[in-house]
Amino acid sequence: MPQLRKDPIIGRWVIIATERARRPDDFKQAKVANNNEEPTCPFCPGNEKFTPPEIFSYRSMNSTPNSPDWQLRVVSSIAPVLRIEGELDRHGQGIYDVMSGIGAHEIIIESPRHIGNIADLSLEEISRTISCYIERITDLEGDPRFKYVLIFKNYGWQAGGGKLKHSRSQLIATPVTPKRIKEKLVGSHRYYEYHERCIFCDMIKQELETKDRVIAEIDGFVALAPFASRFPFEAVIYPKKHSSDFTKMSMQQRNDLAKTMKVLLSKLKVCLNDPPYNYLIHTAPFRRPKPGYWKTIDEDFHWHIEVTPRLTKVAGFEWGTGFYICTVQPEDAAKFLRETNIEL
Amino acid sequence: MGQLRRDPIVGRWVIVNTEDPKGPNEFESAKHEYTQKQNCPFCFGHENLTPPEIDAIRDSGAPNTPGWRVRVVPNKFPALKIEGELNPEGIGIYDMLNGIGAHEVIIESPEHEASLADLKVGQIRDVIDMSCRRAVALTGDKRFKFILLFKNFGVDAGASLEHGHGQLIALPMIPKNVYEELTGAFRYFEFHERCIFCDIIRQEKQEKLRIVCENDAFIAFCPFASRFPFQVWIIGRQHSPYFCHMSEQQKDKLSQILKEVLSRMKTVLHDPSYNFIFHSSPIGIREAESFHWYVEIMPKLTRVAGFEWGSGFYIIPTPPEDAAKYLRETTLTNT
Repeated sequence: MPQLRKDPIIGRWVIIATERARRPDDFKQAKVANNNEEPTCPFCPGNEKFTPPEIFSYRSMNSTPNSPDWQLRVVSSIAPVLRIEGELDRHGQGIYDVMSGIGAHEIIIESPRHIGNIADLSLEEISRTISCYIERITDLEGDPRFKYVLIFKNYGWQAGGGKLKHSRSQLIATPVTPKRIKEKLVGSHRYYEYHERCIFCDMIKQELETKDRVIAEIDGFVALAPFASRFPFEAVIYPKKHSSDFTKMSMQQRNDLAKTMKVLLSKLKVCLNDPPYNYLIHTAPFRRPKPGYWKTIDEDFHWHIEVTPRLTKVAGFEWGTGFYICTVQPEDAAKFLRETNIEL
Repeated sequence: MGQLRRDPIVGRWVIVNTEDPKGPNEFESAKHEYTQKQNCPFCFGHENLTPPEIDAIRDSGAPNTPGWRVRVVPNKFPALKIEGELNPEGIGIYDMLNGIGAHEVIIESPEHEASLADLKVGQIRDVIDMSCRRAVALTGDKRFKFILLFKNFGVDAGASLEHGHGQLIALPMIPKNVYEELTGAFRYFEFHERCIFCDIIRQEKQEKLRIVCENDAFIAFCPFASRFPFQVWIIGRQHSPYFCHMSEQQKDKLSQILKEVLSRMKTVLHDPSYNFIFHSSPIGIREAESFHWYVEIMPKLTRVAGFEWGSGFYIIPTPPEDAAKYLRETTLTNT
């Protein structure tokens, strides 16, 4: 019998289609033959002139911006979806609301090495990438036009990664708190009001007790297959210790998170034959004091990273209802991943 | 500069690229290749390859033999099962329900390679007639709260069988997006004492910027805050919460406009993969009267990536005004 499961935070139902249960091998995709020669990589050292000027970098002491000899580089997107210049203008148009497209859109080049999957970067490089995320979010918080910064990664063509291989993440700062964040904030706030506990902490506690959906537990972090997974082999990384804000991590925590990410992403790579995936960080929005402002975010929200391999296509049913059919039981997915051996 | 636009019903923001709009020829789409004809369970003579039929419109023949024009069968791999009682359950912090529901397939015609756009208006009318009939029948089942009629056309839209078919799913709960839309419409209705969809139609008719085509009973337009480029809504001029209660005349008119919109999309976007969804009110709830059913058609031209998944924002490379113009101005060859 298939099961309907409800996400405890935002209340989204999913169908776990047990009868169609599939194994990791069922998803192994034929690699798309790429006949086009890879274009000159603008993200490799020596090609700095092909990107917009750098916004931020970790580089050798004696080197100058936009020259080689860097370990990590942040540049503006060459095709930004939002523009940094301009005033925030909101107006109505009859029944409709319009706002000017102000925001920031940056590319974080994680390593000078021309490697595609962040799972294959060193722990040091991943940890440096995490530090850079924190630096950039903190810097953009200073711009009062922005309410949220979303950090995400598109790896592989099916995940929207485009034709360039070189490993990078993206950052988009938006003038409104995105809907998906708001739903989670509202859901966790509701739970907190009644229970005076963080719903994520309660969930993590239950998961660590039952262990059915735990993929990996590394130092202060845990990677889980969510109870109401939308997609096969979906995973979420949580810090075990309560924290609403990704940017408040200590150096030790950054290293531990780097290790957790490397373990999880390497397991996905081995188990599912290097699948395309997205990951994204959900952290508390900027908390600039203003009257009547929601004060319990730090207590009721708990930051996390959603990791989703793109193995199936989202079709009419999902778009129409926001209701997902997942063809792998999260307990099975967790087991496959838990038992996948990797070398770090 | 781009523009952020908000959907007036659910409050979702989208980013519209008004600065450097993409034209219809700038999207990559895979050609439809028909390769499954040999053992297609939806072709004449293969009726034994599907579960026994639930209903059919036939010119001749007994059930489960050839001679049908439209045929409805249970999905061979149903996402939900029809038998059993609902049994909600809590597991610690989590909620669960057994997977009760209906999952039916509506085979649109015996012709393997006919896409819905290529069928005759009369054939499309049979499909609509049958879809309404099945939805009415499922509405009678007290276990179900919501009925979704939808179609996946083409591999990029998630279709696994190439022979033209729609699907009907009956659910024991109200899905999240549906609930949000209903809540948004209800809130507006309570405050303004008017239907938000009727108000949208009024504004669209005044502005005329986003209209694709219209007839006596329906209007087709590209929504102001579309989630996808070249997305089209077909909505009835007359307010009604449920599609399955359409009049005979409305069925005629819907068949005509659906064919026209799909044909325009096919011409302008070179036969794209697409999904369509009938948005209709959940069953037996007090907010139903504030809802206005419509068809949402979404060609699959772009890939949804990390930003969309993480934020719920969508990026629209072609402004709806441009998309509507391309669709409106294309010339259709008569079929």
